[in-house]
Amino acid sequence: MSAVTGTGTSQTGERIKDLSEVPSFPAIYAAALDPRSALDPRRARRAPQADPTLPSIAYRVRKVRIDAERARDFDHLMGGPATDLVHPGVLHVLAFPVSLALLARRDVPFALLGLVHLRNQILQHRPVRVGELVDVECRVRDLQPHRKGRTFEAVSTILGQDGEIIATDVSTYLITGEGAESGSASAADGSASGSTSSGGPEHSARRAFEAPRPTGRWKLPADTGRRYAAVSGDVNPIHLSALSAKAFGFPRAIAHGMYTASRAFTESGVDLSRPLRWDVSFDAPVTLPGTVLVAYDDDRGSGDPQGSGDDRGSGGVRCVGWRAGSGDKGPRRCFEVAVTTLG
Amino acid sequence: MTDFPRDALILGGNRIPFARSGGPYAGISNQDLLTAALDGLVARFSLQGEKLGEIAGGAVLKLAGDLNLTRESALGTPLDPRTPALDMSRACATSLETMVHLSNRIQLGQIDSGIACGVDSASDSPIEVTPRLRRILHRAFAAKTAMQRVKALSAIRPADLTPVPPRNGEPRTGLSMGEHQALTGAQWGITREAQDELALASHQNLAAAYDAGFFDDLVTGYRGLARDQNLRADSTLEKLGSLKPVFGVKSPQVSEPTMTAGNSTPLSDGASAVLMGSQEWADEHGLTPLARVVDARSAAVDFAHGAEGLLMAPAYAVPEMLDDNGLTLQDLDLYEIHEAFASTVLSTLAAWESEEFCREKLGRGGPLGAIDRSKLNVTGSSLAAGHPFAATGGRLVATLSKLLHQRAVETGRVQRGLISVCAAAGQGAVVLLESVTD
Repeated sequence: MSAVTGTGTSQTGERIKDLSEVPSFPAIYAAALDPRSALDPRRARRAPQADPTLPSIAYRVRKVRIDAERARDFDHLMGGPATDLVHPGVLHVLAFPVSLALLARRDVPFALLGLVHLRNQILQHRPVRVGELVDVECRVRDLQPHRKGRTFEAVSTILGQDGEIIATDVSTYLITGEGAESGSASAADGSASGSTSSGGPEHSARRAFEAPRPTGRWKLPADTGRRYAAVSGDVNPIHLSALSAKAFGFPRAIAHGMYTASRAFTESGVDLSRPLRWDVSFDAPVTLPGTVLVAYDDDRGSGDPQGSGDDRGSGGVRCVGWRAGSGDKGPRRCFEVAVTTLG
Repeated sequence: MTDFPRDALILGGNRIPFARSGGPYAGISNQDLLTAALDGLVARFSLQGEKLGEIAGGAVLKLAGDLNLTRESALGTPLDPRTPALDMSRACATSLETMVHLSNRIQLGQIDSGIACGVDSASDSPIEVTPRLRRILHRAFAAKTAMQRVKALSAIRPADLTPVPPRNGEPRTGLSMGEHQALTGAQWGITREAQDELALASHQNLAAAYDAGFFDDLVTGYRGLARDQNLRADSTLEKLGSLKPVFGVKSPQVSEPTMTAGNSTPLSDGASAVLMGSQEWADEHGLTPLARVVDARSAAVDFAHGAEGLLMAPAYAVPEMLDDNGLTLQDLDLYEIHEAFASTVLSTLAAWESEEFCREKLGRGGPLGAIDRSKLNVTGSSLAAGHPFAATGGRLVATLSKLLHQRAVETGRVQRGLISVCAAAGQGAVVLLESVTD
């Protein structure tokens, strides 16, 4: 884990901890797997806290360079051209280890491994270029009861060198089991609409999923998780192989949620030079190897019969991805992605 | 009703800086490069969401999987996805030909707008399997039984597994392009000094044009590169003169090899794009046309058995095009002659000055004569910029169109310019442009 270069306190009373560099994933996961660690998955069961709270601290890394080769590899993995304007998924993977380092703190009242990524929203105010220097700030907030446990948000802010906010990345995670509300299903479903999800894809996993007509098919080979790990650095063992996934209770490896979301973003073909919002909700995991059907719905004005294209670019593109049903099992929605161009 | 043919107009261009092979664009694909050039053009001319008549592009070093390279690249831009695209190829003249293709379609009224483009990456060129291995594998795939498959595969020998990079040379002669030009240059008595002077002028002109901001609206940076990587603003005749000859050194016909890495173009990566349209389309989009396409010709020479030099086809195409337009060589205000090698440009000019060549090969009464060298490649050319094969034509068209327009505005007179590009397999393509002003 990276060295701390200093801490400070902001005007709001929140502490800020400056890391000298973006921490490495393996170090965080190794810490999480250490049985002596406070991060041990069993800790939650051992010592349930009646009224858990999140620490009021921000982790910050300054002057992180957006690496051109990493951005290129990310673009290529998503099937897109290597553009000088950075895929917002690159910002997510840039900030993710900083968030994880924060989550690995002893005063975070739950285990790091076993978190379920429910939703993600990135709001990007201006394009980011490869080679650019950014500051990354990560916080956790909004611990809420949920039907299956609790949810909270990991919020990463990407800032330019002049202090302007370039992008905000809000990841909503589920802590399963802990503090689950029984007998209040209606409140539980409501809890899925946290304060940041307004306008995001509707979260309606409980309702039977009716698959639309697919517009594409992703055949995801067994090494999909390893390939995404190579560009994102996220070497969470549940994504890497069936064997390592089994150790964590998954029968097979599952694709990184942000891989499917990032690929859908690339395929949506939105203009990266404009401000945008990228909403993702995850339902059933995508097991590897596996086939996902996708359907895109593009309302950016391409239906304009004159082809003047004046209104193209406004509006957005939605993508839903699902696993086909088999036998008496119906199709299962895996993710829903909406990319909206703003202004 | 518009009468056809109508003018096809050059409205502007965009390219990315050209890089040397293995440089900053290593690991970057043709599709990446072409998308970057198109993205820049879209941004420069606010073409987001625009449905154009056609995009014509191509690459010389092209992967088999890139059959729809131009269409796939265009789909990665904010252009309307209903814009059709096609791929074309004529070796180094590819993006000159894509421009001529769109010009013809605009002139005939089949389309109102389009983008001519081209791309090449020597860094990411295709590497194939040997023809023998390919056929063995096809036999194995077609096998009906496991036994047949094993039998087919057992024919593979270690030598079959050697990867096959792109061929560096003419398949019919076994000579590389540089070796061919060394023979042509020797035949025309092109000196080392003359070649180095032309190379130096190319670097100096390109550097001066960058410094003057000439490329500010023609080039968009990519991957940290803002200017052509090959450009050596501080080059000197001494430095160029110190380089060892690389071509012609094994040819008994070349008594004194003169072609070096300094007066030959390096293998390069890059992409270029040119926006074209009719007058009506330009007006509707508030764009100022720079030039119109007056005419174009292509020619080929019988090089395989030595009747003519490999890269001499433009020497035939240009006089034919000028005659058809009632012009002499000296009626032109600007000349863009692609610098595949300094020796190619000088051999072409020498041929036009030669009474014998013009009488015997061109069947004319006398020589075309010399050109005013101060009008040649005035903002530098391929020796300095580099030469990503299929991207060079687009660079030349955008550069010359802007120059013609600028000079027409300055002088108040119509300006005419020539583009001449030699290509592999003894081919050449030439274009005549004329300035357009309000």
